[in-house]
This record gives sequence, structure tokens and C-alpha cells, in this order.
Amino acid sequence: MTLAVTIAIMVAGGVYLMLQRGMVRIVLGLLLLGHAVNLLIMSAGGTFRRDQPLLGINPPDWAADPLPQAFVLTAIVIAFSIVIYMLTLAASGSDDDTEDAS
Amino acid sequence: MVLLTSILVLAATVLSIPLVERVLGRNTGWFAAAVLAALTALIAAQAPQVLGSDEALTYSVPWMPQIGVEFHLRMDALGWLFTLLVTGVGALIMAYSTRYFPPGRRLGFYFLMTLFAFSMTGLVLADDVVLLYVFWELTTIASFYLIGLSGPGASRPAIRTFLITAVGGLALLGAAVLLVVRTGTTQLSAILADQTWTQDSTFTVLVTLLVVVAVFTKSAQFPFHYWLPDAMAASTPVSAYLHAAAMVKAGIYLAMRFTSAFGEVFLWNAALITFGLITAVIGAVFALQQHDLKRLAAYSTVSQLGFLIAVIGVGTPEALVAAAAHTVAHALFKSALFMVVGLVDHEAGTRDLRDLGGLARRMPVTAAIATLAALSMAGIPPLLGFVSKEYLFAGLLGASGGPWAGILAGAVAVGAAAFTFAYSFRFVHSAFFGEPRGERRAAQENVHEAPAAFWLPAALSALGGVVLGLAVPVLDPLVNGVAQDTTGTAADAHLLLWHGFNPELAMSAAAIALGVLLVWRTASGESYAGRSLLPVDGPSVFERIHGATIRAGRRVGDLTRTDAIAFHLGAPIVMTIVLAAAVLWIGIDLPAPAGQTSRPLDWLLVGLMGVAVLGAALTRSRLAALALIGVAGFTTALWLFFLGAFDVALTQLLVEVLTVVVAVLVLRRLPRTFHPVTRKRSVLTALIAIASGLVAGTAAFAFTGRRELSSAADYFLGNAPEDTGGDNVVNTILVDYRAFDTLGELVVLGVAGLIIIAVLRNSDLLPVHKARKPEVPVTNPVFESAPNTVLMRTVAKFLLPILVIWSLYLLARGHNEPGGGFIGGLVGGSAFALTYLAASSDAAARIRLAYPAIIGSGVLVALGSGLLGFFEGSFLLPLHAEIPLPGGDYYHFTTALIFDVGVYLAVVGVLLAALNELGLENGGTARPATPPSPPGTSEGEFPDDTAPSLEGTGATAVGVDTTTTGGAR
Repeated sequence: MTLAVTIAIMVAGGVYLMLQRGMVRIVLGLLLLGHAVNLLIMSAGGTFRRDQPLLGINPPDWAADPLPQAFVLTAIVIAFSIVIYMLTLAASGSDDDTEDAS
Repeated sequence: MVLLTSILVLAATVLSIPLVERVLGRNTGWFAAAVLAALTALIAAQAPQVLGSDEALTYSVPWMPQIGVEFHLRMDALGWLFTLLVTGVGALIMAYSTRYFPPGRRLGFYFLMTLFAFSMTGLVLADDVVLLYVFWELTTIASFYLIGLSGPGASRPAIRTFLITAVGGLALLGAAVLLVVRTGTTQLSAILADQTWTQDSTFTVLVTLLVVVAVFTKSAQFPFHYWLPDAMAASTPVSAYLHAAAMVKAGIYLAMRFTSAFGEVFLWNAALITFGLITAVIGAVFALQQHDLKRLAAYSTVSQLGFLIAVIGVGTPEALVAAAAHTVAHALFKSALFMVVGLVDHEAGTRDLRDLGGLARRMPVTAAIATLAALSMAGIPPLLGFVSKEYLFAGLLGASGGPWAGILAGAVAVGAAAFTFAYSFRFVHSAFFGEPRGERRAAQENVHEAPAAFWLPAALSALGGVVLGLAVPVLDPLVNGVAQDTTGTAADAHLLLWHGFNPELAMSAAAIALGVLLVWRTASGESYAGRSLLPVDGPSVFERIHGATIRAGRRVGDLTRTDAIAFHLGAPIVMTIVLAAAVLWIGIDLPAPAGQTSRPLDWLLVGLMGVAVLGAALTRSRLAALALIGVAGFTTALWLFFLGAFDVALTQLLVEVLTVVVAVLVLRRLPRTFHPVTRKRSVLTALIAIASGLVAGTAAFAFTGRRELSSAADYFLGNAPEDTGGDNVVNTILVDYRAFDTLGELVVLGVAGLIIIAVLRNSDLLPVHKARKPEVPVTNPVFESAPNTVLMRTVAKFLLPILVIWSLYLLARGHNEPGGGFIGGLVGGSAFALTYLAASSDAAARIRLAYPAIIGSGVLVALGSGLLGFFEGSFLLPLHAEIPLPGGDYYHFTTALIFDVGVYLAVVGVLLAALNELGLENGGTARPATPPSPPGTSEGEFPDDTAPSLEGTGATAVGVDTTTTGGAR
């Protein structure tokens, strides 16, 4: 429930920013949306098991699902590379405005 | 084995052409002709079995066994006839080509011609509809390129031809798919023998229409007929082979092949007879009108194909006998005539009848060849064309559909035959007899007969018509075999030159008489040649339809075409909301949650996130928005930590820091505030945003946490230490179990870094925005940047090596404890970011490392460790070794660690690229020439290359950027 509410807030904020004018706001919106989707993937593992999947420390009985964690870990880094690429686009050429004068 | 040999020999010939052509040049034709002639002999030698015993040769080998497609070849009498046609005429044309072209390289021509011979042979031997379709399309492609070879003027004709025949190809594919789905087999002979589907009239009508379109487009039937004259842009050997003897016969072949299934379908009979006769008439009328010999021959081909289609449409054994005989006759006389066109064009320098005449005296052999071929075409005894035309008439008289149908068809055919006589006469008379005409009259005096090697192939072809006409009974087994294969009924025909007084003879006589009258009344076509009979011509109609289609497509695109990114981003979001609303409307059953999914402390994070996101959405300041999104990112990291994902949380935290660093480097080049939008838009987007948030939240609540641990997770948690020797299950998934995914991701990361570099090599970064450059009076202490950054620089100096070492430690321990390549790389990158922020000026904070090479080496190291896996069997399989340590312990080494080093390098490389490219005053590209550092400033603070070199402060004093040094912190 709590995670779902968090995701709702983040998606709403991300979508709002993405639909505004200007590359930077779009990038920020995408960033937020990316975080939200990562949390969504995490929640797919089930949020009732919350021990770390470090078998040297914890027994596996209550360890969280490691597969979504691996997905999200790589997703974070990919999202980062995309974001810095989009920021490059925002700062090159001319202004980061994405629309003609309104 | 004969079938396989033929196909393989042809394939080998195609592949050997590039080598042979290098040596032989235009004489490669001799080589191709020899191969085709040998194959002709080989095929001809199969006559006793194929024609004598009524038993087809077959060969098959599985091709795509999963979907039941076999490489299935079959040669019955019909296949034998067309194979001989392809190889026999092919051999003549190849030999002819050696003298048609001037000396020199002809790689494209011979390669495509042999490729065509290969595909056409495959087409007529294929006994699998998939195979048939593939070869069918190959002939289309070969034709397209062969037409296009003739130069820039041929490109539109090539495209028009290609598009028309491709439409037919698609129709054939449609028919093939329908038949395969219905009958459950792809074998053509089995499909045709299966009578169950022909009982379903709707289905049969559909398949019939599709096959008819395929036949009509390929064999140039009205209303698609115009592509054939259009294709005359190709060189003459191409026209002779593809557009007279072979490729256009693919449609004839297909029609004959499907006769066994469609022979009694009324739609088939009606369509083929009607359109065939229309084509025969208009082709013949247009042919008489031409000045250009080659276009005359092309329209004549159209007309003859029309005759063939019409008689095949009758569908009786007698009609198919006629079709088989006329196919042979037409291949012989038409290829000879096309070769004559080439001879005339070559020797006289023109093929326009207005500039020719009287060539018989200069080119007697060519004139004789032309006369023989034209007599056969006109249907004069004792040539083969006469016999086949007699049978055509007889076949058409047998058309079903009422007592008048046969008589009407016969009458129309006689009319078309009269025009055939007239244009045959025109071909020979206007070119070879009479007096030289036109402006080039003087030049005609110097025309010589072509060399023997040039005219010999044409002569052989024309003589074939004479020999077979006189010895026409030798064709009996062939035509009866074809009738048997196509209609399933023995025809028992006995072809004879003279078979008594009968209606056909009267029709032949009438056609010739009318033809003579026509020649007389029109001065052998001259009096109405060139006059336009129709208000439109095919190519312009095609171009109009083509243009209109493209315009229509553009107009459809215009409905949604916009440069506004928001529209493109919004559309899928709104669609998702609509879909979700539909699902909610229908309703779904949900199982109960599998456990306690929420904990009280979570609400703290919800609140934190709410504040951060609301603030980020409302603020108009870029920096504030960035900071608030940063808060949201940290909250996400906390969430991940709460969920037991320590590694992920750590990664998120580091990425968040670095994102802010990079974003600040960009933001200082942009205005302080966001671009304003209208209030209406704000409200609308807020509504969309809230709806999508509700949808996402509902979905997350409804679909997650409602099952026990997944079986995959169960496996990983239970077996990771044993399988991989690592206790950190997430890391083992990344570098062991799913290393291939990680490798892919690594490449994406590296490519993103390289693209950033590439973008900035092509377009300059914006200069630092004026609003971000406060004018500071020299007296102000802030002016001096070097003293102002002393603290940071001192800290950074000590922190840098510690951070780098720590990052390596994180990398090394990742397999068992939190850490790994990603986290290590991000920490290492942070170390460089720190030195960057600490630098006294942005022009100075240069990192002198070859970061593209670091990115590349990261990907290569990861790939290399993956290749090591082949020692144990597969790509990316980690190898393990126990390395003894002093003291009796063992260190567990695995090549997964090397893989992780690759990850580390790629991450560091991309971070360096971003910092350096975006951070410098003018970006990483337009680097100002570095002035030598004034001695004594800060020289020697960073001894190695990895540290930023500091420049003199005076040169950049005014440009001190408060955001770089202050904003990020």
C-alpha cells in the first residue's frame, strides 16, 4: 500500500513534468518516472520480505527477491546514461526549449 | 539427382561469375552459355522418363522442418518444358550477349542474368509453395536490377516494373498462405491434388483472385500490360531473355500449374479468357503502331501472352495442348526477333523504323532470320507458329459458358491474329525492305552484316521454329504430357501441319486475309503509327496512382505530425490511462496479499516523496526543481534500502549524486527559470498527471505482493553460493547468472557515453548563461577563485586516492558483500567529480584521461572474460579457481570478477566523458589553447595526469562560475 502510494505520487509528478515545455523539465520528469518504474519492479518481488539477500549475513528465509533487485540495479545505471545524454542535448545547439514561442 | 544437380550447378555458376568475369570480361557469356547448354542437354536427356513414363522426377530435403517447409523439387512434363525453355533460350542469349556488349567488364549483367536463370529454374521446379514464392520474388528482383543497370533513364521504369510485379508477388504469397493454412501442407503437388478446398466456393474465389493477380502482373496482362513495353529500357539481351522468353512466362507457368485446381472454376475461365483476349487485341493493335522495333516486339509479346492466357483459361486438355505448343513457338520466334532488334540496333545504330529500310541488302542473314521468325509469329505454314496458332483457335472455340462463348472468343482471336500478321509484316518489311529512309539515310550505306558469332544464336532460335514446324509430331509426347499434368486428362493430341479442312484452317485463312487487308489499308501500319489511341498511357497512370498514394500517406501522417515533444510523450500516456480505465470498468479478481506489505515507517518516505514531488512540479526555478528531484531520488534510495536492496540503494544514491553534478554543469548554460506555459496547459497536464498517477498506483497495489516468492528467486537464494561461490545474490545474478544482460547494458552505457562525445563534436555547447555569471568587482574577495577554493582542493587532494582505492575495494568484494562493478565504478567516478568541483576554474578542471578508450576497454574486458567462458563450454560462463593464500586460506577467484572490472571501467569512462565534455567552459570540444601555467601558482599539487591541471587565474577571472563551485553543494 505504502509503496503503491509512493509510486502514484512519483508517476503523477513525472508525467506532469514530462508534459511541460523545455528539455530540462522533460529530463527531470523522465528521471522521476524512471525511479517510479524501478520501485514498481521492486514491488513485483513482493514487499513483505525485506531482508537483504546477502547470504553471508542473512539466512535466505526472509530475504527479498533478488531478481528485481538485479534488474533495477542495471536499470538505474542505464537510466543515468540516458539522462546525461538528454542533458547533453538540452545544453547543445540552442536553448532547451522544445516548442515554438507559445 | 538431376534436379539437385541442375540447381546446384546454377547456384555455383552464379557464385563463380565474379571470378570468371574478372578474366573473361564480356566473354563471360560463353562460360554461362556453356553451362546452360550442358544443363539443357542434361534436362533433355530426361525426356524418356518424364515424358515417356508419366512419372515425375522429385527431390526433397528438409529446409525449415519446424514449419514443415521442404526444399522440394519436382519435374513433370510441364516443369520439363519450362526448364528447357529457361536453360535453352538462356544459353542462346548468353552467347549472344558476348557480342552485343562492347569489350569490357560486365560483372553486374552476367551475375544478375545467371541469378535470374537460377531463380527461374527454381521457380518452375519448385514443388513447395514457400519455395515457389521465394524464387518468384527472386526473378522480380533480378529483373528490377537488370532494367536498372541500363542507366539513369531506366530507374523509373525499373521501379514501375518492380512495384507492379511485387504486387503480384504479394498476391501469390497471400494465396500460398491461405492454401497452406487450409490444407496443412506446403507441398504444391499435394495442395493441387487436394480437392477438398476447391469445394468451398468462397475460399476458391479468394484464392483464384489472388492467383489471377499474380499471373496477370507477371505475364503483363491488361490492365498491368504496360509494364512490359516500359521495361524495354533494359538492354536487349535482358529484354529477350526476361521479358520475352522466360520471366513473363512465369505467369503462364503458374496459370498452367493451377489449372488442375481451377480448370473448372467459372471465375478462372471467365477472367483468363476475357482479359487474355483483351490483352491479345490491344497488344497487337499497339504493336502495329510502334516506330521503335523493340517496343513493337514488346507489344507483340504482350499480345502473344494474352493468347496464351486466354487459351489456358479455357482449361480443356485440347486448350492446354495448344498453350504448350504455342509457348514453345513463342519462345523461339520472339527471342529470335529480340535478338534481331539488337543486331539491327547494333549495326545500323538505330531501331526506329522511320530511319531504317532496305537493310536486307546490307544484312542478308539478319533479314533472313527476321523473316523466318516473323513468318512463324504471323502463323504462316509450315512454321511452328502456324501449327500452334491453329491449335489456339481450336482451343478457344472449345470455351465453355454457352454456345456463343467459343465463337465469340474465336472471332476476337481472329481479329487479334490479323493484327499479328500486320505487325509481323511491318517488322520485316519496314526494316529490311524498301528504300532507306529518314535523316540517317546516308549512314545506312555503310551498314554491314553482323559477325557470325553475333547472329548465330538468333539463327538457331529462328531455325528451331522451322525444324519443329516441319517435324511437329515430335512435340506430341510433350504437349500430351503437359495436358495430362495440368488437367489430369490425357489429350491424345497429334500435332500435324495439315489436318484437313476444319474451322481452324478457315480461321487461319481469315486472319491472314484480314491481315493482308490491314497491311494494304494502313501502308503496313505506317498511316496510323504513333497516333495515340487512348487518352492515357500506362506509365503516366501508374505515376499518378503512385504519387497519389504517397500524398495520401503524407496526409495521414500530417494528422499527427508535430514537433512538439509533449504531444508525442502525452499520446502513449493518455492511451495507457484509457486502457487502464477499460480494465477497471470490466473489473478483475485479485488474490489476497501474500503478507504484510506495508510497515509504519514507510509512511515517512511517502510524506517525504510527496513534498519533494509537489515542490518539483510547482517551482519555476530550474535549480530548485533539480534539487527537489534530487530529494525524490534520495527518498527512492531510502525506499530501496527499506526493501532490503542494499546494493541497489547504494547505486541509486551514487547515481543521484552524479546526476546532480552533471545536471548542474548543464543548468549553468540555461536560463534560471523554466519556460512559461499557459494556465490552461498546466491544468490539463495536471489532470493527465493525476490520472496516470492513480492508474499507476492502483496497478501497483493490485498486481504486486499477491504471491509467494517466485520460483526464480527461490532458486537464486537456494543455489547462488554453491553455483557461483558468491554470497551477494544480486551481484551473482548480474555477473554470473544473467551476465549476458549485463553485457548488453554495459554496451548501452558505453554507447551513451560515446554519443555524448559525438554530439558535442558536432554541435557546440551553449555558453554559460549570462544570468549565471555575476559581475563581481575586482575588489571583492570572491573574484579570486584560487584562494576561494583552497579548502575544497585540499580536501579533494587527500580524498581522491582514498576514494579510488575504496572503489577498487568495493569492486573486488562485490561478489560476497555489497559492492561490485557498478557501485565501484560510481564511487570512482565520484572521486573525479570531486576534484572537478574543487577546481578553481572550469577552464582548468580538465581530466586528461582517454575516456573513450576507457569506455571501449571496459566493454572489451567484459567481452574477453565472456570469451574465456568458452574454455568450459559457453559464452560468459564464469571459471573458478581456488588460489592458496599464505596461512592456509584460499581465495576464491572467478572470471566473473574480470567481467566486473569491465563494468567498472565502462562506468568510470562514461562519467569522465560526461564531466569533461559538459564541464569545460566551451565543452570538451572547442578547447582553448592551454596557456602555460604561470610558475608557482598551484603547479605540482596534483602530480599525475589523472588530476586536473590548474591554470592561471587571471585569464578567466571574470568567468568565475558560482554554480560550478557553489551550486552543486
